[in-house]
Amino acid sequence: MRVGIVGAGFMAQTHAAAWVKTPAEIAGIHSIDRESAKRLAGAYDTRTFESVAALLRDVDVLDICAPTHLHHEMTLQAAAAGKDVVCEKPLGRTLDQAREMIAACDKAGVKLLVGHVVRFFPQYALAKEAVDRGDVGKVGVVRLTRCSFQPRGTGGWFMDSEKSGGMMLDLMIHDFDYARWVAGEVESVFTRQVRSRHPDAPGDYALAILRHTNGAISNVEGGWAYPPPLFRTALEIAGDKGLIEHPAGSSDPLEVYVQASGSGERPSVAAPSSPTTESPYDLEIRHFYDVLTGAVTTPRVTAADGLVALKIAFAAIESAQTGKRVSLKEFA
Amino acid sequence: MRVGIMSFAHLHAEGYVYNLRAIPGVEIIGLADDNPVRAAYFAQQFGLRQFESYEALLAEKPDAVIVCSENARHLPLVKLAAAAGAHVLCEKPLATTVADAQAMIDVCRAAGVQLMTAFPMRFSPPVMEVKKLVDSGQLGPVYGCNSANQGSLPRAHQAAGMPDLGRDWFVNKALAGGGVVTDHVVHLADLLRWILQSEVVEVFAETNQVFYGAEVEVETGGLVMLTFANGTFASIDCSWSKPPYYPTWGGLKMELVGENGLAVVDAFKQTITLYNEAAGRPRWLPWGSDANQGMVAEFLAAAHENRTPAITGFDGYQAAAIVAAAYQSAATGEPVAL
Repeated sequence: MRVGIVGAGFMAQTHAAAWVKTPAEIAGIHSIDRESAKRLAGAYDTRTFESVAALLRDVDVLDICAPTHLHHEMTLQAAAAGKDVVCEKPLGRTLDQAREMIAACDKAGVKLLVGHVVRFFPQYALAKEAVDRGDVGKVGVVRLTRCSFQPRGTGGWFMDSEKSGGMMLDLMIHDFDYARWVAGEVESVFTRQVRSRHPDAPGDYALAILRHTNGAISNVEGGWAYPPPLFRTALEIAGDKGLIEHPAGSSDPLEVYVQASGSGERPSVAAPSSPTTESPYDLEIRHFYDVLTGAVTTPRVTAADGLVALKIAFAAIESAQTGKRVSLKEFA
Repeated sequence: MRVGIMSFAHLHAEGYVYNLRAIPGVEIIGLADDNPVRAAYFAQQFGLRQFESYEALLAEKPDAVIVCSENARHLPLVKLAAAAGAHVLCEKPLATTVADAQAMIDVCRAAGVQLMTAFPMRFSPPVMEVKKLVDSGQLGPVYGCNSANQGSLPRAHQAAGMPDLGRDWFVNKALAGGGVVTDHVVHLADLLRWILQSEVVEVFAETNQVFYGAEVEVETGGLVMLTFANGTFASIDCSWSKPPYYPTWGGLKMELVGENGLAVVDAFKQTITLYNEAAGRPRWLPWGSDANQGMVAEFLAAAHENRTPAITGFDGYQAAAIVAAAYQSAATGEPVAL
C-alpha cells in the first residue's frame, strides 16, 4: 500500500511516524510549505510532489493532513482518481462539503476514513468499552474537557475561522464525537462561547450542554485559552450503576520539572501526551491500514460519524451565536 | 449570645451544634422540632434542652436562631423567629419559591432582625483564595467557569443504627422543592455571583432522572448554564452522580478560565485516602478547614452587632430565583432571562 501525505505540519509528521510502523509505504509528501515537505520527506526517505494531482498518480491512499478548508477539494480529487482517503478531522469545513465528500467517495467506490483520534486514546477507548459492557449501567451525565493554548499551524490557519472553522469545529468536535459515541445520538445543543460574542477576544473558551435522545446529558468544555504549554483533558461518565472518572492529569505517569533553557518558544500545536508503546495516532493509523486492506471490515469511526460530529459542532456554533438551544433536526 | 436551633430536619444542624460550641460566649438554649423522634434523638445526642414547640423555644427569647427545617418549611419558622425578635441563619436553599424568599426578607426587615442564608462555601479557604485571585485581576477577565457540585443521593443522610429521623425529604418534591437543581445549584450560583461581582441574567438547564430513576420522584441529574451580566458564563453540574460506594459524599469544583489563564478550585480536595479492611473501599478523610465555622461566626457577629451579615437574605433570594428559572428552562427547553 502506497500512502501519500498532504501537509507537512504537526499532524502530517505524526501520521508519517505512525505509517512507518505499518507495512504501508510512505510514497510521497505534498505541502505548499516546500521546506517542511522536504524535511518530512527526508526523514522518511521519500520524495515530495509539487501538487496533490501529481501525488495521487503515484499512491493508493491519500492521507489529508492539510488545513480543514482544503479537505473537500482534495478528497474529491482523490475520489476522482479512484484513491482511498484518510482525512483529518473535522471531515469538512461545511456540512455540504462533508456530504459531497462522502457522496463522491461512495460513488467512486473508495474508502473515506476520518481521524477522530480521541476514539483511539487508550483511556477513552477503555471507558467506551466499560460503558458498552454495562459497567456504569445507563449513562446519565457525561463530562468532557479539552483545553489548550492557542494553536498556530502553518501560516496561523487555526486562528483563521474561514479555514479552521474555529475552536468548536476544530477542538470540541473531538468530544462532541466522543459524547455521542458513549451516550448515543445527540438531540440538542446549548452553548456559550467567548468568541461568538467577542470576536476579538485574545482567547477562546466555550461550554456546551448536550441532550442525548436517550435522556443522557453531557457537559463539554473546550478552550484555546490556557497559557502554553498547558493542555488538559478530562473525562467522566456517570451512570445509574457506576461511575468512570479520569480527571485532568490524574494518570500522567511522568512529570518533569526542569530549568527552562533555550528560546522557550511555545509549540505550534498542543497534543496530549502519555507515554505508551504505541501512541493513539499509531493505533489510529494501524486501524486505518487494517480497514484499507480489508482485514477489518468496520472502521471504529466512519465518515458518517464524522458528518454527525460536524452537525453537532455546527449546532453548537449556531447556539452560541443565537443564544438558543439548537435541535440537531435542523441539520438533518 | 443565646442561640436556639429550629428543626434538625437538615443534617447540617448537627455540624452547627459543634460550630456554636466552638465559639466562646455562645449558649445553645436548646432545640425544637416538629418531628418528636428527631427532637428527642438530637436532644439526647448533644445534651440539649428539648422544647415542646418552636413557640416554647422562642418564648425563651434567644438572640438568634438557626433554621434547619425541610426547605419548604423555612418560611413559617422564619416568621415565628422574626416575630420573637431573633436574628435568623436559614439553611440553604433559603426557599423553594421566590415568593417565600421575598416574604422572609420582608418579615425580617419589618421585625428589625438580620437574615442570613447559609452559604458556607464563601468561608471555604480554597474558595476565598480563588476569590482573591480573581479580585486581584491576575486571572484577567473571566471568560467562563466549568463547575460541579455533585453528590450522592441525599436520602443516604439517614445513617444506619439511627431511629427514623424523617430525613428522606430531600427526594420529596413537596418538602425539598425539587431534586438536584434545588439541592446543588445554589452553592455555586452564589459563589459565582460573589466571585464575579455580577448578577445572573440568563439560565439554561437540562435535567434527567437516570440515577435512582425508579426510586425517587425528583430530577437526579442536571446541567445548568448561567450567563452573567458581565458576559461570563458558567456551567454547573448539580447531579447526584457520585455512587454510595464513592470515597466521599461528593464535592465542589470550579475551573475558572480567564484571559490570562486557568484557576482550578477543588474545595474538598484536602483529604487523606484511607484503605480500611472493614470499609472494603477507599475513603477520603477530610482535613481541610470547616467552612461552616466561619459562616456561623459571621452570623453571630452580625447578630451581636445587629448589622447586615456577609451573606444576606437577598443572596438567598437570588439563588432561589436562579433555581426557579432553571426549572422553567428545563421544562420549556429555552433559556430563561432573569
